[in-house]
Amino acid sequence: MMKRMKKHELPVVPTANLVDIAILLIIFYMACSNFVSQSNVELKPPKARDLQKLQEPLVIVTIDKQGVIRMQGKEVPNAQAVETSVTVLVKDKKDDQKNVMFKCDAGVNREIFEPVMDAIVNGGGVVVAAGDNVKFP
Amino acid sequence: MYRRPKKKLLGQEAIPTTPLADMMFLLLIFFIMTTTLAKVTGFVTDMPSGQKGDQSQKQKTTSVALHDEKIAFNDQNVSMDELYKLVKGLRLDQKVGDAKVVIVSAAGMVNYQNYFETMAIIQNSGGVVAIETEGK
Repeated sequence: MMKRMKKHELPVVPTANLVDIAILLIIFYMACSNFVSQSNVELKPPKARDLQKLQEPLVIVTIDKQGVIRMQGKEVPNAQAVETSVTVLVKDKKDDQKNVMFKCDAGVNREIFEPVMDAIVNGGGVVVAAGDNVKFP
Repeated sequence: MYRRPKKKLLGQEAIPTTPLADMMFLLLIFFIMTTTLAKVTGFVTDMPSGQKGDQSQKQKTTSVALHDEKIAFNDQNVSMDELYKLVKGLRLDQKVGDAKVVIVSAAGMVNYQNYFETMAIIQNSGGVVAIETEGK
């Protein structure tokens, strides 16, 4: 008995569920997104041991390697402006919401970063110093 | 063969879903590009603002002095690794009140790396950092 040869059909990839998967991925990224607001800041973070993972606060102060002070991504002229802004931003906030993240380039001199740290504290904020965790021998 | 024409009901046109997948992918690419999933590492400082300590308190308290590239622990020059061991040995987490305070003073060309590392060592050992600044 002769068997009829079946025509070779190209396999079809089902795309009906593709949109569902894409929607799920979008929901995932929307739920855990943290928009990059300091992408234009060039700084090399300092390194220390035994650092903990932190929740990034709403208020962020950065000092890049040129010594330029930025608050929420926008350049500010001096430490006094940082103190004024921190006072306004943390006003009437609970103690655990007064955290101000401080990111500074490792090579910046104390004459630049010390007044800024004092300004954050005098403005009522709590300094959260950010850096890279390293393991020392 | 005669086929009856399909009746087209008013207001029941199918929504085109072909561009939906394109829009979904565009949104996905947008969120992938703008999202940071990495957690920031660091420590929370507990620095008091504007408090002035008296000289007698300073004499009793542990102090770390940073001058240029040098580090001095209670007036004794040490390296950063030695400072780590000495501060850990103080067991500041088991002390209370002023005994937990470590005064940090900086002078000269001190970079943020040394300052940060010193504060991290003290804070993570259970101590409280007190910054000594020059009087205005």
